[in-house]
Amino acid sequence: MNHLTTVEMIEPTLWRIVARSDDNLFSGEVLLDVKLPALDIRHARLNVKHDILGLTPDLSSAEGQLIGVRVGPGMTKIVRGVVGGQEGSERMAELVLEAMEMLVNALTVPELRKALNMGGTPFEYEEATSRVPLNDVVIGEETVRLMAANPRLKDSCAAFLDL
Amino acid sequence: MLEYSRMKSIGIQVQGEDRRVVSGVLEDELYAMQCEIIVNWPTLTIERVQTRMKRFTTARCPLAQVVFPTAEGWKIDSQLEGKIKKELGRQGCRHMAILILDCCRSLARAEFARELRAAVEQDSHLDRKEFLGDFLGRHSELTQFMRLQ
Repeated sequence: MNHLTTVEMIEPTLWRIVARSDDNLFSGEVLLDVKLPALDIRHARLNVKHDILGLTPDLSSAEGQLIGVRVGPGMTKIVRGVVGGQEGSERMAELVLEAMEMLVNALTVPELRKALNMGGTPFEYEEATSRVPLNDVVIGEETVRLMAANPRLKDSCAAFLDL
Repeated sequence: MLEYSRMKSIGIQVQGEDRRVVSGVLEDELYAMQCEIIVNWPTLTIERVQTRMKRFTTARCPLAQVVFPTAEGWKIDSQLEGKIKKELGRQGCRHMAILILDCCRSLARAEFARELRAAVEQDSHLDRKEFLGDFLGRHSELTQFMRLQ
């Protein structure tokens, strides 16, 4: 299985996310255009390129129903309802959600990079002694606690959980 | 210019009749990680989990690795997704948890694809949906898990 998601700013307030997944049974691609500041979907394309079992239904109406859906709280339930379910495609619903999550990651990267630059601490771990160390600095504990207050990061993963 | 990209790749190796080794890799702008999982195929039981957090953001991230062997002994069935997300994702690392889940799902799909390919070689007019029904009859626990639709 190979899976690739890319996030690109195509206009100053318009983001394009493309998520593609391929394996022996299925190949699908999702394209979403999402507008800032509301992070609402302006354009959606759900393209099933290859479905060896022929189980995926026509998703053209789902494309239309995704317009206006916002990247944020509640999106999982909405997308599963619109794209997934008995009459839809769980595979494509997963790809849509992956695309939306990667946009959140793209928006979060500058904050994490800033934290590494401002609040980074040298990392001492057995891997750091390897011939090719990959983590020279990590976000320090104090900065992690500060960042955990950010709504976009709070409880987003175990590192920012219950702080 | 791309602002963010994530790549995931999963491969499966058949080692004898009843052993499958699944290896998964994730790379993106922030994180890099990999896992290798041994699964007993007839019983669909996870026998061993090995992980490596390669690139990460906080000192907490690599500590998650002690959590992932919790999955050893778990079966690939309809309960697995919930267990992985709750016990590996919340206690360890959600990125690695999803990668492990993707590995298990890929294995189930690959096993079906392997059987399907062999059957089509024997009978080019094979009814694929009927074949799927037979496969799920033998592995009913995979019906929802494989996410075929």
